[in-house]
Amino acid sequence: MVPLFEPAPFTGYVYPNETVIPWSVLIVVYPYLTGLVAGSFTVSSLYHVFGMQQFKPVARFAMLLALCLMVCVPMPLLLHLGHPERAFNAMITPHLTSAFAIFGYAASFYTVLLLLENWFVYRPQIVQIAMEGKGPLRWICRIATLGSNDVSERALAFDHKWIYALTIIGIPAALGLHGYVGFVFGSLKSREWWSSDLMPPVFLLSAVISGTSLVIALYVLTSLARRVTIDESCIKGLALTLWGFLIFALLLEGVEFASLVYRSREGIEVIMEFVKGPLLVPFFVLQLTLGSLVPLLTLTYLIVRGTRGRALVASVFVCSLLVLCAVILMRWNVVIGGQEIAKTGRGLLDYEPELYGREGLLAAFSVLCAPMILMFIATRIFSPWAEEERAALLRGRPALA
Amino acid sequence: MKDQDRPATPARRFFLREIGRGAACAGAAAGAACLLGAGTTTAARAAAPAPAPAPEGHAGDYPVPGYDWTKHRWAFAVDATKCIGCLRCVEACKRENHVALDAHHFRTWVERYAYVDGEEKPRIDSMPDPVNIAEAGSEETYRFANRYRDAKVDKAFFVPKLCNHCTHPACVQVCPTGATYKTPDGFVVIDHKYCIGCQYCVQACPYGARFFNHAKGVTDKCTWCYHRVVKGLMPACVEVCPVQARMFGDLNDKESVVSRFIRDNRVQVLKPETGNAPNVFYIGLDKEVI
Amino acid sequence: MPKHIVRLVLLIVVFGVVAVAAKSYFTADSFYRYGHYRADSVPEIAGMATSFQTPRACRSCHAPRLVEWSAGNHATVICEVCHGAAPGHPDTLKVVIPTDTPRLCTQCHEKMPGRPVSSIRQIDSREHHPGAGQCIACHNPHAPRIADPGVHAAFDRKAALASAASCAGCHGENGVAVTEGTPNLAGQNAAYIARAIGSFKTGVRKNDTMAPMAQAVADDDVPGIAALFGNMSCRAAGGHAGTGNAQNGKTLARQCAACHGEAGRSVNVAWPNLAGQSANYLASALTAFRSGDRANAFMSPVARGLSDKEIADLASYFAGLGCAAPVVASNH
Repeated sequence: MVPLFEPAPFTGYVYPNETVIPWSVLIVVYPYLTGLVAGSFTVSSLYHVFGMQQFKPVARFAMLLALCLMVCVPMPLLLHLGHPERAFNAMITPHLTSAFAIFGYAASFYTVLLLLENWFVYRPQIVQIAMEGKGPLRWICRIATLGSNDVSERALAFDHKWIYALTIIGIPAALGLHGYVGFVFGSLKSREWWSSDLMPPVFLLSAVISGTSLVIALYVLTSLARRVTIDESCIKGLALTLWGFLIFALLLEGVEFASLVYRSREGIEVIMEFVKGPLLVPFFVLQLTLGSLVPLLTLTYLIVRGTRGRALVASVFVCSLLVLCAVILMRWNVVIGGQEIAKTGRGLLDYEPELYGREGLLAAFSVLCAPMILMFIATRIFSPWAEEERAALLRGRPALA
Repeated sequence: MKDQDRPATPARRFFLREIGRGAACAGAAAGAACLLGAGTTTAARAAAPAPAPAPEGHAGDYPVPGYDWTKHRWAFAVDATKCIGCLRCVEACKRENHVALDAHHFRTWVERYAYVDGEEKPRIDSMPDPVNIAEAGSEETYRFANRYRDAKVDKAFFVPKLCNHCTHPACVQVCPTGATYKTPDGFVVIDHKYCIGCQYCVQACPYGARFFNHAKGVTDKCTWCYHRVVKGLMPACVEVCPVQARMFGDLNDKESVVSRFIRDNRVQVLKPETGNAPNVFYIGLDKEVI
Repeated sequence: MPKHIVRLVLLIVVFGVVAVAAKSYFTADSFYRYGHYRADSVPEIAGMATSFQTPRACRSCHAPRLVEWSAGNHATVICEVCHGAAPGHPDTLKVVIPTDTPRLCTQCHEKMPGRPVSSIRQIDSREHHPGAGQCIACHNPHAPRIADPGVHAAFDRKAALASAASCAGCHGENGVAVTEGTPNLAGQNAAYIARAIGSFKTGVRKNDTMAPMAQAVADDDVPGIAALFGNMSCRAAGGHAGTGNAQNGKTLARQCAACHGEAGRSVNVAWPNLAGQSANYLASALTAFRSGDRANAFMSPVARGLSDKEIADLASYFAGLGCAAPVVASNH
């Protein structure tokens, strides 16, 4: 019979109940996904709110990406819960002292917001499919148009205002949605590795860099697939955004770790043993050096030298992949690492993730792939690219908002 | 349509109005639910979260018939100078409360601290230690292996541990649904039919008292045998302790064993710096007890 | 306002109303009654059945055992510690009689660093009678201490004499029996006397004479009466040595020494001394064990194997034994 749980091996002394690690790899994937949502939304808002023209090519794509990611965000949580069918208890009777209770409302609000935003952005295309499409998709789009096929200048102007308003609301909402995840960890008294006032900003900043990196990576890959020239100013803008937020993220993470070591509270010996031992490769080598310092130095070099063309795109692409890995490692090192340091301050555990099973590596991997699959399907139906919009205009079709 | 970076000045007022309307409409629905939820809990929140007498309008309305929970304020005491580490309490608790019979889920446990000659820090072990499991023969019974029998031990002692039923429980604070709560008579309990099994409370407890009940898919912990106390009995671990190292009583009764214990001794609690205000009072702790 | 905006706003409002209504509808009825939790869960938690019954529940059927236990130094260890919780006993569950006493007893009594000697007497199982086999070979698990200080402990002699006034009629002023078939009590183990009185009281041990006598004695007076007789000096029965062959009895008595001692003075204070006991009484006791009139886990099987002659021989042997000074078993 498959055992209900796998106890974690340990060294030193850990409380007896700690030998089963409560939060699995799924709880690593969850903040990663919400981070990607917040990050891609930020990229989109750079165009829609701050009017930075260089981000126009990816603005709508990032908006759709944010929605596809957001829809998949509840998946890892539902897979982890002991009673997923009771998940709505947190919304029916939210205990307002708990950050988790806020999640239900924040996530719902944000999902609705992203739905509305994307609806407004893609409305001309929805209307077009409603009028000229075929099959079940046509019926879905007919409902989605809410019975109005109005894509006149006046209607589109209204849409534009709504997009602007929603994006403005969306920025603090995104900050809240992902900031609270940092608060979930940072507010706990029980774990020295998590307990820090800097957790929410650290999570937020790593969210922005992960989202930006994902947009870069997908933009490059989809452009290659569509055999379309990559807009260099867009890549440069994205690289600068990544570079700026990366510095900030590294700064805060550095300050957090340095404070922990400097204060050297009770239990620091075990933390240092952990950092110099099991955490050495995942944290110092992979997350910090390979995943953060290498992209940082590379981007600095690119910016200073004013690199252009394929060299720029290729380097930025590689940097974005490194940062994506760095951020998921950061989530792993925080979530799993924190649980591997026992609350006793006198022992260490070893989390050995299962491969199969509801909370296994395969499940986590599937959850990570799901938004990409959704995105693939969505981009078959709706086109997020500005150039195609121009081509459509030339053909006399209605334009995107 | 031509994209504009910013609305033209004359239209700004118009835009702000539209934005305001848009924001209000979009936020209304999601916000309303939250506000309504908050509104309905206001009356109840006046009585929660710290232990309080029965809320207004509920006097005489006790959830457990025949037991007036407003009359008691229960607490637990442990004399760690008496504990012999026989682990009868651990076994009794498992049987009384049907806890999973393995070495990874405990409502109560005992820790052994042994200062072996020449070492500054004590060696600590408890039930999940493989040497102790081997000595017990299986994970269904519990026994300390006599591993220091032939060692030169400067000092050694046992410390029983259990849920502290804190006055300001971190676990109750972080529960998203209200499945875990503190009763007016001082017990922190879990509603197994409401818990969603997110395990946030397991993370939040600084004492490691909570665990995930894999069979039921909810979290679980020591309840100070609530089902026994309301019937006038003592918790199972208190009943079986052969040396009376564990005590349980009503702080409202000045002559109860726990009240006298606190009055007659210099008592300590575990991890007071958390601010949780635990209600298990110890004597016989050591600087290294965690 | 374009149509689609109006309809969208309407849709959002409807969604909001439905959400609020759903929240109200799905909230459990008893939630918020006492606080942010489901009030109905309190009686659910409180209503769970108990497993450990505590000695209170054992008293109705096992009273003499309880008297013996509460007089001994295991009085702080409830029955279910060794016998296990038995919810539903006796209807649905038989209580465990432990068989591996070395493992059971050393769980508490093994000498271990960290076990305070002030809390519990400890032995090193490698050195403490390693060949003895079961702990209960020497120790009565319900009153395990060997060498009873109770006999020498202070007791209120005057009060004890007062409550024991009616005993002298059969048991004699000096604890030496004056009627036929009555046992001598002088120098008998106080814990055993206490247990016997308890057994008569509850009727577990049936005797038409003793039952009302025992019931007339208050529970609180029992230890005093037991100590009174226990402190009296024992005298060998001498002339009332019975009709058996004491020499033969000596050979037979080798099997009795494990519990009743080499010289007829028992190794455990809860078990009776036999040295100098009335032969008549000893014979009737063994006969009663054999026939089932008296039941004892140790004595019944022993007695069943005895013939009338063997009983008489044993009775004569023990009656003739001197019992002047108590033999103190190895004292820790």
